Amino acid sequence: MRCSTISRAARLVLRASFARAGARFAQRHSTAFALALLLAMPAAEASEVQLQAPRAFGYVVGDTLTLEADIRLDPGARLDPASLPQPRKVSSWLDLVSVEITPPLGAVPAGAYRLRMTYQSFFSALEPRSLEIPPWPLTIRDGEARRTLSVPAFRFVVSPLRELVPSHGGNPMALQPDILPAPAPLGPDMKKAGLSAAVAALAALGLALAQGWRPFASGRRPLAAAAREIQRRRAEETPQAYRDALVTLHRAFDASAGRRLLKEDLGAFLEEAPALAPEREDIERLFGASRTAFFGAGIPAARSELPYADLVALSGRLARAERQMPRAALQGTVEEAP
Amino acid sequence: MSHTRSFSRARFARRAVTALLAIVVLGALACLIVQGVRLAALARDNATIAALAAGRDLPVAVDASARVLLARAHFLMVRDRLDEAHPLVELLARKGDPAQAAAGWYDLGNARLARALSHLERTQIDPAVPQVRLAKAAYRAALTLDPQFWDAKYNLDVALRLVRDFPEVERDVKEEPQEAPKRVWTDLPGLPKGLP
Repeated sequence: MRCSTISRAARLVLRASFARAGARFAQRHSTAFALALLLAMPAAEASEVQLQAPRAFGYVVGDTLTLEADIRLDPGARLDPASLPQPRKVSSWLDLVSVEITPPLGAVPAGAYRLRMTYQSFFSALEPRSLEIPPWPLTIRDGEARRTLSVPAFRFVVSPLRELVPSHGGNPMALQPDILPAPAPLGPDMKKAGLSAAVAALAALGLALAQGWRPFASGRRPLAAAAREIQRRRAEETPQAYRDALVTLHRAFDASAGRRLLKEDLGAFLEEAPALAPEREDIERLFGASRTAFFGAGIPAARSELPYADLVALSGRLARAERQMPRAALQGTVEEAP
Repeated sequence: MSHTRSFSRARFARRAVTALLAIVVLGALACLIVQGVRLAALARDNATIAALAAGRDLPVAVDASARVLLARAHFLMVRDRLDEAHPLVELLARKGDPAQAAAGWYDLGNARLARALSHLERTQIDPAVPQVRLAKAAYRAALTLDPQFWDAKYNLDVALRLVRDFPEVERDVKEEPQEAPKRVWTDLPGLPKGLP
């Protein structure tokens, strides 16, 4: 006790004598001293770094800490990009994982930056202890002048993750179990595949309805049905087949118009169903031939008026034209004003 | 005349609807094909993973998926073929799937540490130390990928207590001797088995 008091006193005496010597030195070289002070001092004091520190306690092995430094620069001063820290292994227990600066250091100098540094500590503490993230010097350039602005050090307390010796016995070296390889989950892809299949099916159904494809056309497109019937029998070159084809087409026109259709009514009907209008000439020929066949000179004369092949071709063209007709018109429920 | 015009407009609209529906059908079918191909690949991968888990020694291509690589690496690890497993885990880490890569590093760390512990049980210290160091590096790689990986933290803590390697912190301790309590742990590895 006494010994330490004496040594403290000795130290005080020593320090005082050094201070006196320093003062004498300063007096003797006062001009040079002031000059040196001026040179050492930066041109302006406005640039500064402020650390937005995270919590300083309660870290275990493997935890990350994000230090944010607000850097404010003098007008005209620029941050030297080369002086920014790079992600690296800082020490055996500390990694600098990532460094971000906003706004990015580009051609346009900004007055204020935020530097975000994420560290990861791998210190395995046996008891709570304080560790330090070292300071980082940043270089500021102002024209020719250079000065160093330091991101301050940060101290934090790490804690142990587990007991030093298990209090309930057991193996202190027992490891947590492996992660077993697991099969890839198929659910999300199954769901997506199901969705695409449903969309494809719905759109295909819509397309089939719009195009009048079988079986979506049955009964509702009489000309198409007639065309199919006639196509089916087109190889038969008999008068009976020709007669049946005429009858079939008449029935189809009747169904399409929603009433019995005679040659005289064609003009009104074609106004109701303009999709068929381009075929007007051939439809009139058909009705003429049919009148010849049933009420006039008979089937051979009608066949010279409208050959069987032409009849078959016409039925196909009519079926195609019918697809362009709105559905309501097919059912004969619309009494459109011309 | 206006009737014909309205009709042609209607026909144009119908054609547009038809074209749109056709495009939708084709697009949905293309999606379906893509999904089907993906599903087939996944099913193949899952078959390989199941076979490896069942103990069949299946080789795995370098361009295999991350899960398959992990399954193969794990197969090798549990059979103590760590020198074959290590490059597979490195390959896995380059696949861009952080969860699988972290699992690979963690399992490799476990395998290395288990080997080190079995050396130590037979008091073979020299071969144990490098295994502990490699295990630590593996756990660190896992924790870099996933800092919230608690099992990796725990096992890294076990490895770090086994062989301590903080030279600058130890130096710190020497500089302020009166602040630090007596070091209970030395740099020598060993199993704490209680007092003699």
